[in-house]
Amino acid sequence: MTEEKYRHVYVVIEHVDGKLLPVSLEMLGEARRLFDDFNKRYSSTEKVVAIVLGHNIGTLPKTLIEYGADSVVIVDQPELHDLINKIHTKVICQICLDKETAAKIEPRYALEFERPRYMFFAADGIGRHLSSTVLAELDSGLASDVNKLVISDLEISHPVKTGGKKIMYKKTLEMYRVDFSGFLWTTILCLDNTNEKYPPREYSPQSCNVIPGAFEPIEPDLSRKGTVIEFHPTIDEEDLKIKILSQKFVESEVDFENYKAVVGFGRGIQESPERNIKLVEEFAKHLNAQIGISLPISKNVFSASPAITSTYMIPARVIGTSGQKVSPMLYVAIGISGAMQHISGMEESQFVISINSDENAPIKDASDILLKGRMEDVLPLLTDELKKQLPTIEVK
Amino acid sequence: MTELNLAVVVKLEPDLSEGNISYNSDGTLNRNKTKNTLGPHSKIAAQAAFYAKVKYGAKISVGTMSGHAANNALQIAMETCDADVLQLYSDPKFAGADTIGTAEVLKNGVEKMKGKMDIVFSGHRATDGETGQVGPQIAWKLGYTFLGNVISYDVNLEKRTVIAKRLVNLRGIPEIIQEVEAPLPVFIAIDPSYKYYFNTVSLRLTAEKYKREAYERAQHYSDFLQTFNREELGADETLVGLIGSPTIVYNVQRVPKGKATRSAKVLDGSNPEHIQQTVTAIKEAFAAMVIK
Repeated sequence: MTEEKYRHVYVVIEHVDGKLLPVSLEMLGEARRLFDDFNKRYSSTEKVVAIVLGHNIGTLPKTLIEYGADSVVIVDQPELHDLINKIHTKVICQICLDKETAAKIEPRYALEFERPRYMFFAADGIGRHLSSTVLAELDSGLASDVNKLVISDLEISHPVKTGGKKIMYKKTLEMYRVDFSGFLWTTILCLDNTNEKYPPREYSPQSCNVIPGAFEPIEPDLSRKGTVIEFHPTIDEEDLKIKILSQKFVESEVDFENYKAVVGFGRGIQESPERNIKLVEEFAKHLNAQIGISLPISKNVFSASPAITSTYMIPARVIGTSGQKVSPMLYVAIGISGAMQHISGMEESQFVISINSDENAPIKDASDILLKGRMEDVLPLLTDELKKQLPTIEVK
Repeated sequence: MTELNLAVVVKLEPDLSEGNISYNSDGTLNRNKTKNTLGPHSKIAAQAAFYAKVKYGAKISVGTMSGHAANNALQIAMETCDADVLQLYSDPKFAGADTIGTAEVLKNGVEKMKGKMDIVFSGHRATDGETGQVGPQIAWKLGYTFLGNVISYDVNLEKRTVIAKRLVNLRGIPEIIQEVEAPLPVFIAIDPSYKYYFNTVSLRLTAEKYKREAYERAQHYSDFLQTFNREELGADETLVGLIGSPTIVYNVQRVPKGKATRSAKVLDGSNPEHIQQTVTAIKEAFAAMVIK
């Protein structure tokens, strides 16, 4: 692979009507940190490039430069006001393959440039689909729900990719994602095919969508300089037949924000889901708490009556990276072992009590009190004690 | 009457329901002991196709790529949407595919189904892989407009368009419900919250009729089942399976224990004094906030 063909990290920025979503600055922050190190390590001058599509996007490019972008490629026109996957996919791909744009980003390698080296999207309701279609068009690899990124030179031997030979893959993006159980961390790599049995293939950009909240933005530097590049795409007339008829904001069906206490339950309900959830309900009622769940509960793992199932075992109640983030005064984790993906959804709570039969469960490290015992034994006692002391507790 | 030509792409997944799922002692899924079934999101996709069959009249083909015998999953899918055709794409060469390699097989599968499709449905994401990438990537490879997170939809048969409501979930702002109109053909990835309603007696009767038909048909599902290997499917061998996949799983490790952010006091849940202490701590937690 020639070094100059694939360059830079392109970050696809998300905003709603010109208001940046937090994940955009988080992605830029991580790109900045990775590339400061990358350029030092490889004595290179590759850039962090932000891509923004929309209409009347105003001062966004300036903000993006302050938050770490070297270049901002903007497409500002009415057809891009609404997010239509097909149109945005085509425009982003045009930007990725455009040599003139690359020349403005970095004149030195303008002739050699073919594609971005890496690409970041958000793992949310826009970026998940957009990253999938962009990478289908660019025919390269995509890892989803990534929460850690490392760039390294890796010597790899793979039966199919390398035909069993040891090959050094330079500047490889290690993309870490947590699996659905929350206990396994998988590293995904996007690798060229070097196996002589097959036609050689190079895959670029190495891409991922990243979980909102996984990375920190950098401190904005108001004096940072960068280039703003206007791009003029070709838009297919046919695609303009796809129309947004209306768009409205709705409140989530489960509100955590207006509750001072949140009670979450997990797999610990397993011995008697119906009865145990009712115990949780009763306990939460006396705390005036909203009820949340851990991810596995939302997957129809446990059977209970339709009323309980449709009220509680639903994705809208999930607390964690796959659901909502909560930060109440009090969080009570009942029968939740404490997978990382759950912890990151509740760790900002002011005070945390966990109820668990295993006193060494990972949730302990995110708790102020661990009440050891089975939930079916502990909850009734706790609820009774709450009732006794109830007049003195003002929860809402 | 021009009926719609519909496809549903489904996935055989570990059955996470009680009694069928098995965990290893370290909390990870025991894949050998866990049974497989039609993925729950795939089932919702089949329900969405059934809605169009009842409302507009439709021919439905269901396709899946699987190395395992996916008969059980295809049978359930047939019973859910009253499918006319079932297709299984199975070949050792498909093994190890990432989302692009999988999408390539399913694209070829949809093209193998009879006639040009008006709508292709898929689930939101697989319960085990959870990438949600395969649907949009099939759509892109087919050249269809992709509509994700669809919570309801209707078809305008005269204009040949679909009008769909989509739920767009973005961190940091309230959810958005977007209503979009797009010319057929479209690819719809159905949102987990999708539910169909039939608001007239006549539609409800039609639905009952098709449900009975679906039940009968599903008893003899194998009569409707077509199986294709790579060659029969006409899929390029360099674009499927491991070799057609840009990405590999390099490493799987336990998620490292996070830094302890708090040092928990361990109390005994059967000790009344400890219970009292806990409730006192709850009171203090609320009181502390009031002072702040």
